[in-house]
Amino acid sequence: MASAEEIVEAYAAWRDRCNANERLRRMLRGWDRVVHLEATDTGDRFTVTVHEQTVGELAADAVGAPDLVVTATSEDFADLFWGDLNPSEKYMSGEIVLAGSQEDVMRLDALSMVAFLDQ
Amino acid sequence: MANGQLQRDVVVVGAGYAGLTAARRLHRQGLEVTVLEARSRVGGRVWSEPLPSGVMIDHGGQWIGPGQDHLQALADELGGRTFPTFTTGEAVEIRSGARNTYTGLIPTSDPTAAAEGVEAIFDLDLAAQDVPLDAPWTAPGAAVLDEQTLGSWLSEHVKNSAARSMIDAAVKGIFGTEASEMSLLFALFYLHSGGGLMNLARTTGGAQERRFEGGAQQFASSMAAELGERVRLSSPVEALEHGEGDVVVRVADTSGTTVHARRAVVALPPMVARRLRWTPALPTMRDQLMMRAPMGAVTKVHAVYETPFWRDDGLNGQLVADEGSVRVSFDDSPSDGSRGILLAFVAGDECRRLDGLPEHDRRRAVVDDLVRAFGPRAAGPIELVEQRWCQEPFTGGGPVAVFSPGLLTGCGPALREPVGALHWAGTETATQWCGYIDGAISSGERAAAEVMAALAG
Repeated sequence: MASAEEIVEAYAAWRDRCNANERLRRMLRGWDRVVHLEATDTGDRFTVTVHEQTVGELAADAVGAPDLVVTATSEDFADLFWGDLNPSEKYMSGEIVLAGSQEDVMRLDALSMVAFLDQ
Repeated sequence: MANGQLQRDVVVVGAGYAGLTAARRLHRQGLEVTVLEARSRVGGRVWSEPLPSGVMIDHGGQWIGPGQDHLQALADELGGRTFPTFTTGEAVEIRSGARNTYTGLIPTSDPTAAAEGVEAIFDLDLAAQDVPLDAPWTAPGAAVLDEQTLGSWLSEHVKNSAARSMIDAAVKGIFGTEASEMSLLFALFYLHSGGGLMNLARTTGGAQERRFEGGAQQFASSMAAELGERVRLSSPVEALEHGEGDVVVRVADTSGTTVHARRAVVALPPMVARRLRWTPALPTMRDQLMMRAPMGAVTKVHAVYETPFWRDDGLNGQLVADEGSVRVSFDDSPSDGSRGILLAFVAGDECRRLDGLPEHDRRRAVVDDLVRAFGPRAAGPIELVEQRWCQEPFTGGGPVAVFSPGLLTGCGPALREPVGALHWAGTETATQWCGYIDGAISSGERAAAEVMAALAG
C-alpha cells in the first residue's frame, strides 16, 4: 500500500520527465483532458489535468468532470509514477482499469506506454 | 420455365457472411431468393473444420472483439458462445536474430524502438480519424494521402529499424500484405473502420479478443439452414447479364442453371467478381475498382500438439518476428486445453515465397520458425494444417482486398453504387470493420435494404 504522500512525490518526478519528453509532448497535441485517479485499496482520489501539451500538477481529490478515470491499487500508482511499471502491461492484464471514450482510452494507453518506455 | 431456369425476386452471388445475411433479410421480407455459391460449403472466408483429432479449427476469420456489434448480435440470436483468446504469460519477439520475451502490446526489449513505434501507431490512428468512413475519398488532403503508400509513410516517419519491423509484422498480420502495396488513404480508412491499428493489433480489448466455441462458421451454416434449398452449393456463377430492372445469372454447372431475377446482390471479393463475364461491360469506374483492389496474400497454419506446452514455459503463444516465414502467431488451442494449437500466419512476401515451394519445404519452414520461437517441443506437431488462401480460386487470397494508390480517390464512389439491378455487398464495402466478419454482415444488411427500397419503389 502506498500513501497519498508517496503518490504525490512519485507523480511530481513522473510529471517532470513527461514534460521534458519531446515525443510525449508531440503526442499530447490537441488532447486537453481531465483524468481522475482512484486508488482501489486506500480510496484516495487525485486529478491530473493535461493542458496545452503539458501535464499539470496533481490535485488532491476528484476535481471537475473527468474525461477518463483510472482505477488501480495505490501501489501500482506509485510504481507507475516511479517508472518501475509498464502501465500498458497492467492495462492489458486488467489490473489497471481505464474508463472513458474508446479513443481517450487508447490515447492514454499509448501515452503512458511512451512515458514508461522513453524515460 | 424450362428445366434449370429459375425465376426469382433476388439472386445473391456468394454465400459468405455478406451474401447469406442479405439473402436471409430478403427472404424474411417475403421475397423469393436464390443464393448461388461456387463452393460445396457456405461461409466464404470463414471456414471451420474439425481436425482428425476432433478439435475444431478456423481456417479463416475467427475472432470477435469489442465493437463488433453486428457479429455479436448474430451470435446472440443464434446462440453462439465465446471464450477469450489465451493471453496469459509472455509473448516472444524475434528481432535481429535474437529471441526476447515480453508482456503487453508491443516488444519492449528496445524501449526507444518501442516508443517510436507507439508514436507512429498513434499518429496513424489520429490521422485515420479524419477519414470519413462512408466516403474516404472526401478526407482532407485525400489526393495526397492516396498517392502515397502506407510503406512510404512509414519510411518517412519511422527511422528506427526495430520499430519499423514491429509495425511491418503487425501490418502483415492485419492486411496480409506489405505496407508498400496499399494506398495510405486506404490504410487509414481501414484502421478507422476497425477502431485503430492499436485496436486491430490487440487480443484483450481488441479485434482478437475472443473466439467461438465450435468455430466462426456456425452462424453462416445456421443462416444457410434457414434458407434451405434457396442456397445452391457447387454453383459457380460464370456470367451475368444485367439491365435496369432485371438480371440473368448463368451458372457453370452440368445442367446449365440460369437464374432470372429483378435484382442481384453480388457478395464477392472485388477481384473474384471481376472474373465473371459481365454483359454489358460494367461502368469503367466499377471495373477499375475491382481490377485494382487485389487480395492480400495469407496462409494460416495450425500446428497441433498433444498439449499447449508453451504455457508451461510462461508463454502465451504469441510471436512477433522480423525474419523467417512466420511473423505473427497466436495460441489457438481449444478452450479446454485438450490440445495445444499454435496458429501461424504466413503473409505478404513470405506467403508468396512459400507458396512457390513444395509442401514438405513449406511445412519445414513453418515448424523451424515455431521451434525458434517456442523451443524444441514445437518440432513435432501431431498435425500441421495449412490453409493457403491464395490457392483458393473463389477467394483469391486474404484476409481482405487492399486498395492500390489512387483507387479510392479515382473510383471510390463506385464501391457501393448500384449498377442498374446490381447491388454490391462483401466486407470490402463495409464502413465499419471493413475486412472483418462484422463488416461482411453489415454490408449484407445494407445491400438488402437497398434491394427492398428499389423493389418497393
